[in-house]
Amino acid sequence: MNLIAGAGLFWLGAWALNAWLTNGKWANTVPVRIFVPLLFGVTLLMIWELVVRGLQVPVVILPPPSQIAVTLMGSLPILWADLVQTFFKGALSGFAIGCASAVVMAVVVDRYDYLRRGLLPVGNFMAALPIVGTAPILVMWFGFGWQSKAAVVVLMVFFPMLVNTVAGLRDTSVMQRDLMRTYGADYWQTLFKLRLPAALPFMFNGLKIASTLALIGAIVAEFFGSPTQGIGFRISVANGGLALDMVWSAILVGSIAACLMYGLIAGLERWATFWHPSQRR
Amino acid sequence: MKKMILAASALAGFAAPAFAQDAVTLQLKWVTQAQFAGYYVALENGYYEEENLDVTILPGGPDVAPPQVLAGGGADVMVDWMPSALAVREGGLPVVNIAQPFASGGLMLACWKDTGIEGPEDFAGRTIGVWFGGNEYPLFSWMSQLGIATDGSEGGVTILRQGFNVDPLIQRQADCISVMSYNEYWQIIDAGVTPEEIVTFSYSDFDVDVLEDGLWVKEESLEDPAFVDRMARFVRASMRGWKWAEENPSEAAMIVLDNDETGAQTEAHQIRMMGEIAKLTAGSDGVLDEAAYERTVATLMSGGSDPVISAMPEGAWTHAITDLALQ
Repeated sequence: MNLIAGAGLFWLGAWALNAWLTNGKWANTVPVRIFVPLLFGVTLLMIWELVVRGLQVPVVILPPPSQIAVTLMGSLPILWADLVQTFFKGALSGFAIGCASAVVMAVVVDRYDYLRRGLLPVGNFMAALPIVGTAPILVMWFGFGWQSKAAVVVLMVFFPMLVNTVAGLRDTSVMQRDLMRTYGADYWQTLFKLRLPAALPFMFNGLKIASTLALIGAIVAEFFGSPTQGIGFRISVANGGLALDMVWSAILVGSIAACLMYGLIAGLERWATFWHPSQRR
Repeated sequence: MKKMILAASALAGFAAPAFAQDAVTLQLKWVTQAQFAGYYVALENGYYEEENLDVTILPGGPDVAPPQVLAGGGADVMVDWMPSALAVREGGLPVVNIAQPFASGGLMLACWKDTGIEGPEDFAGRTIGVWFGGNEYPLFSWMSQLGIATDGSEGGVTILRQGFNVDPLIQRQADCISVMSYNEYWQIIDAGVTPEEIVTFSYSDFDVDVLEDGLWVKEESLEDPAFVDRMARFVRASMRGWKWAEENPSEAAMIVLDNDETGAQTEAHQIRMMGEIAKLTAGSDGVLDEAAYERTVATLMSGGSDPVISAMPEGAWTHAITDLALQ
């Protein structure tokens, strides 16, 4: 009971501190802007810890964050190997293949209108296939290794990237295309010097969507057959062995990887599309 | 008129106890199939009703970990294998075995004969499939006893996590897979493979078998005498169901099919499964054989550098329920 009361007091105290900071005269400085969400996160973790310990929730239902942290620190080699298997080998390769083929397909579809009318619905259908249905089939076709996970990721990532790139390629105005014609540019020069750069904001949008889908796809595909390594494998096996702290550790590692990938893409976007209104500070 | 009212209220008075049945929820280890026929037979033939019990049977499945359901209060008693339950007990959820309907186990490794594997010494360098979720302990224990590494290193075995089918064997992605004598082995035969093309290694033939389906409850529940009484009645009725199922396998299979809400099971498969399960429950009256328990514990603790359990379990089983049930 003391722990629950402690949790409540901590929450109220942190809330009061955050309210005071955001209404004070330092509200717009960088240290405060970093500190406030950080304090919010720390408060959530504190409440979790104190409530779970105070109510004596069984560890097999929900472990406290401190135990998860201990398990995480103790299992770093295992989790790193899992991350390499799932993220680098499975998700990234599928992401690269899927996005590259989607961009190529988008250029083709943009060139020939009848292909656009035919292929976009097919791509839509492929994306709508439930991955818990396609993953076992792809594991049977491509084996238990990272290839089947990459295949699942390609299926998931292809359509969003295709749709975004097609929309981006159409986002040039008549004036801009006429200007290129007056310079005597042929189709390929117009494509590489005007239309693809103009499509970059849309393409980055697609890449950001695809990055989250890629990790989800790779992890879920591992539930259906994998070598004894991988974030998805670790989550489901630890869950079956009731090592919930390992489950949370694997989830945390996967989330950090996904956040870093998203941040990397957002950073690239800021560098490549600095001219776009959405990048104005 | 008065006499009729008196008679009616007297009858109602006699009927009242029948409404006050005790509720029991059983969590199965897997989906509804003949592996759990005894409980469905007891339900269907009214054995639970005769013991004044209102039993709900919850099927398991790929996403259900019975110990987790027990921990969360979703069930009073679960069917689980001893290695998984003992590992969970050591991991912080004290569960206690109250009955052991399965006297012997059906876990086997099935390999293609053309791989040239003739005995356990040939496993090194091969790919072996196993489900996880609590069923991997016997394999890891056996490999550890044989001194064969399971981490994919040179001279060890490569472990594949197989799904709940026999595709890894059929598609040649694994040299051997884990099968149950009553289920997956027959799926291989149904897939067109002849028994001569497969060589099986039964864990019991190599003395590395472990006790399988048993009834487990949370230790703290046993402090309530009313709960102990409910469990004794439940075990008594369940064992009656098992013995009836052993003697009437086809009818038991049909009862299981009637209770299968998924509609995924077939008659032929279930009748065959019931025949095999009857071999495993034969000779058991529900009482846990202490010698078999000690053998299982010894197997689990002899896992070398990676034992399934590291300390002798204390108080992991009780005869109190079965004594009450069978007196």
